[in-house]
Amino acid sequence: MDTLLTAEVAANSPRFRRRSSTFVDAIHDLPEKEEMAPAQLYSTESGRLFHSGRIVIVTVGLPARGKTHISVAVARYLRWLGVKTHVFHLGDYRRATLGPGKDVPDDYFFVNASPSSVLLRNKILKKCREDIYNFLEHENGQVAIYDAVNAIAAGRRSLAREFAKHGIQTLFIESQCNNERIIEENVRSVKISSPDYIGWSEADAVKDYLTRIASRIPHFETMEEMELHWIKLINAGERVLVNKCAFGYLSQRIVFYLLNLHIKSRRTYFARAGTTTTEDSYKADASLSPEGEDYAQKMGETLIQHREAERQALIDRGGPNDALKSLTIWTSTRRRTIETSHYLASKGYRVRQRSQMSQMNPGVCERLSEKRIREKYPEEVAKHEQDPYHHRYPRAESYHDLAVRLEPIILELERENNDLLIIAHESVLRVLYGYLMACNAQDIPKLDFPRNEIIEIIPASYNNSAKRIHIPDLPEQLIPGSPEDISIPVPPSNMPSGTQSGAISPFTGIGTPKMQGTPRLTPMHTPTPSIHVAPNVALDSLGITNTAPLPVGAGATATSVPSDLVERVSERVERPAKGPGGGPGTAYSGGGPPGHEAGTPPPQPLRIMETNVDPNS
Amino acid sequence: MAVNGVYKPDMNRVPTGEFFLPSRRTNGFGVQAEDTKICVIMVGLPARGKSLIAQKVVRYLHWLSIKAKIFNVGQYRRTATPNPTAEFFDTSNSEGEKLRMAAAEAAVSDMCRYFANGEGLIAILDATNSTKARRRWVQERCRSEGIETLYVESKCDEESTIMSNILEVKTTSPDYVGQDPEVAAQDFRNRIRNYEKVYQTIDEDESDMTYVKLIDVGQRVIINQIQDYLQSRVVYYLMNLHIRPRSIWLSRHGESKYNLEGKIGGDADISDRGELYAKALPGLVKKSVGDNRKLTVWTSTLKRTIQTARFLEFEKLEWKALDELDSGVCDGLTYAEIEERYPDDFKQRDEDKYNYRYLGGESYRDVVIRLEPIIMELERSENILIVTHQAILRCIYAYFMNVPQERSPWMEVPLHTLIKLTPKAYSTQEERLKADIPAVSTFREKGSSAKHQ
Repeated sequence: MDTLLTAEVAANSPRFRRRSSTFVDAIHDLPEKEEMAPAQLYSTESGRLFHSGRIVIVTVGLPARGKTHISVAVARYLRWLGVKTHVFHLGDYRRATLGPGKDVPDDYFFVNASPSSVLLRNKILKKCREDIYNFLEHENGQVAIYDAVNAIAAGRRSLAREFAKHGIQTLFIESQCNNERIIEENVRSVKISSPDYIGWSEADAVKDYLTRIASRIPHFETMEEMELHWIKLINAGERVLVNKCAFGYLSQRIVFYLLNLHIKSRRTYFARAGTTTTEDSYKADASLSPEGEDYAQKMGETLIQHREAERQALIDRGGPNDALKSLTIWTSTRRRTIETSHYLASKGYRVRQRSQMSQMNPGVCERLSEKRIREKYPEEVAKHEQDPYHHRYPRAESYHDLAVRLEPIILELERENNDLLIIAHESVLRVLYGYLMACNAQDIPKLDFPRNEIIEIIPASYNNSAKRIHIPDLPEQLIPGSPEDISIPVPPSNMPSGTQSGAISPFTGIGTPKMQGTPRLTPMHTPTPSIHVAPNVALDSLGITNTAPLPVGAGATATSVPSDLVERVSERVERPAKGPGGGPGTAYSGGGPPGHEAGTPPPQPLRIMETNVDPNS
Repeated sequence: MAVNGVYKPDMNRVPTGEFFLPSRRTNGFGVQAEDTKICVIMVGLPARGKSLIAQKVVRYLHWLSIKAKIFNVGQYRRTATPNPTAEFFDTSNSEGEKLRMAAAEAAVSDMCRYFANGEGLIAILDATNSTKARRRWVQERCRSEGIETLYVESKCDEESTIMSNILEVKTTSPDYVGQDPEVAAQDFRNRIRNYEKVYQTIDEDESDMTYVKLIDVGQRVIINQIQDYLQSRVVYYLMNLHIRPRSIWLSRHGESKYNLEGKIGGDADISDRGELYAKALPGLVKKSVGDNRKLTVWTSTLKRTIQTARFLEFEKLEWKALDELDSGVCDGLTYAEIEERYPDDFKQRDEDKYNYRYLGGESYRDVVIRLEPIIMELERSENILIVTHQAILRCIYAYFMNVPQERSPWMEVPLHTLIKLTPKAYSTQEERLKADIPAVSTFREKGSSAKHQ
């Protein structure tokens, strides 16, 4: 029965997914095989790091205080560093035990609950704890995050005692909030999407939800247990109290991360820089071309329109008639990223230059054509094809180097309260996207950011999602990848040649001479309109496509799992064709094991470009 | 350098010549990134470890290649009043009050100039700053200059910690130079009493300010209104610090078979002479550490350090982060072979050894990044003996001794020598114990290909 229950948990939880793909936040996936995490500095035999032992992080706080968000964010950061971390949301176990559509009895959270409620409570807790122990003791897990209310001091003490018996440290993280606005915003963005509130106005739903919390969880004791290890975050990190947390490297590192975290909801947008006048290279720092200027303006306009439309949609749904959240723009210190922000700066948006966001150093590959690199460094090219994430060309940086160097940016990204537009080189966007969407290291070099799209990352408490915002009316030659990009796109397998997108390599002069006919991997899925299924995301008319949907039928192998929760087996989704000669956008599922290794891959072109390369070479 | 086959160390030796300076934060076209300027303001009674903390923060920041400087108000005051008595610090002494305010003025003005000249990103104002009025005054001064403030209060009522700090101050503080230690200790206690009369801890009234309050040596920490990454990074470091007395012992592994052959890298066994060192180490450690002191031994995961430490009867931990600098394609080669096969690389490494990265391997800069957990753990722990490798030891030594990064890769770190470092309020003390066991020199001077002796 219990093993079945675990399957149920998976089945009833939209965030339990069996496979990772780069266009869906993979934070709840358990890695299938041992591999280095994107910012992992070294690996150990035990699989655990820093001699920090095993830790259970226990969240404490009333609903709508951002506990789940904190759990997921901490997991995201620790996994990025290579610490084996998994989040156990008690709510998932509750829902799985009760079955769909059923709610817990009214006295479920009461201290003096009825015997039947206590039994139910214990049953749910037992299963969750068993999974935690299993993860820490048999799956090389190092940090388990136990996401629940944990309202009573006595309960927390006994939790810590119980884990201590197993040689596991317990670290409590309480989120305390006395700012009504933050709570209401949280309720609105996270809690009222449940079926209970279909047909309610948002304002009423928020009110009802808060009343229900107050009556159902009447007892809550804030953490004052001086003998326990705890961190108390007050009002989204305005103030942080730390009690006895100097028991290990990891606990301190978690505090460090939490100092930069807040629980307010905000969006991140990624955009490429415009194209430049003269030949572009790493060392030369050229200004934007007229086309680049045009791009900067169109990108800025599209973003402004998009944000305004989203705000209108929120008001239409009964949300508050608030001003838009401010937008801050970060660029690197390279001219073309700064100049790409000029249009928006002229509209009064604040721009910050961040020196750490400079692109990957191409080393000896600077201004060499792919052909020349293959001639000069055949061994390096072979190594690069083996491991494009970790390999670095002589004097160059690898993606791994970049990920490690971007640590300050990642923490600043968490810290930013405003909506944020990041204009940077594609290599930087890949790594930041990889962090926010919990991509595998090996997928990061393959992420693709065409210039005619702004990528929007929308945080939700369980996972982030990504959207593409189409920038209309751009000349095709602007779209492809960066000229000095060092990446080897691995073409998807089983791709009928007819469906290869003509939009991908429409122009062979400036960007990607070798890209002709090579399908590109997309970081996110751009579905055809017929398969939108996500219930809570408003679509609008700006060419915005939703990301939640699943290609019909793809990977429907587990019969016990509801069809709308089936994870795509395929990791590779073709972009819909926009240019001439392309077929319709096609989601495909690899017939064999997932991943690009199936089938016979076509030759892998090296995408190191230079502007003066003969397009026919 | 080798006398009778015994290698003579000179760790502080600095090679001459031009050093490649760390890259500037511009892109060469005058586009300057926005940099934050942060003034870290120490708050607390005397003998709470403020100077020790200030000094450590600066060392840590330097180690991360962030420029920082301490402005010690006491030093400014000493120019007018070199050896003041406790009465000087009595708040009812208006003359003393005036002089101390003038010292604070001078320190803050110099600090503002330091920022205005772009000499660094972080300044530390080391003084008691024990009243709300004084803190507001500093706050206003900084705000008018566009400098962020971060108050760091060390609040400690643990008698034993305070006493050990008093003992240290009376022996090392410039205020008590040449005085009878007993008289000095008594005077210092009176000075603390005078401060206690007016001391105001940071509280709710100051909730608009960015501060971190370290209570009882990091047992409890209150962190308020952190504004950016750099501040959070400083706070993270501060949380790992303690101010209890402790020492750190460093040793390279015993001479390895690769050392004998002049090869770098690899995972070789120790040589016969290395074995002798391993056997001598427990005695050496006992002599330096003394009896009844708890000690933990850290080694790398490579055979030569584990073998060297194997006779030590203490708790041992293996750290992957302590493994030798990865020399990539040069692993297992001699310097002469490297010079022959990779002449350009060999030259480039000499030009900028700190930033040079072996093909497929690491640079010193890379090593510093991976040592971050080690440094934090070292700060959190008490007595630690580290048995590791030349490059790693250079980086750790550079951290404790504040050696600039362009010099640290060129320091000589002899084999078969135990180094003891003891952090004190105003500097780190160093002692060396040499095992009288000969070993080859693995030091290569700049520009030479080091035919190993």
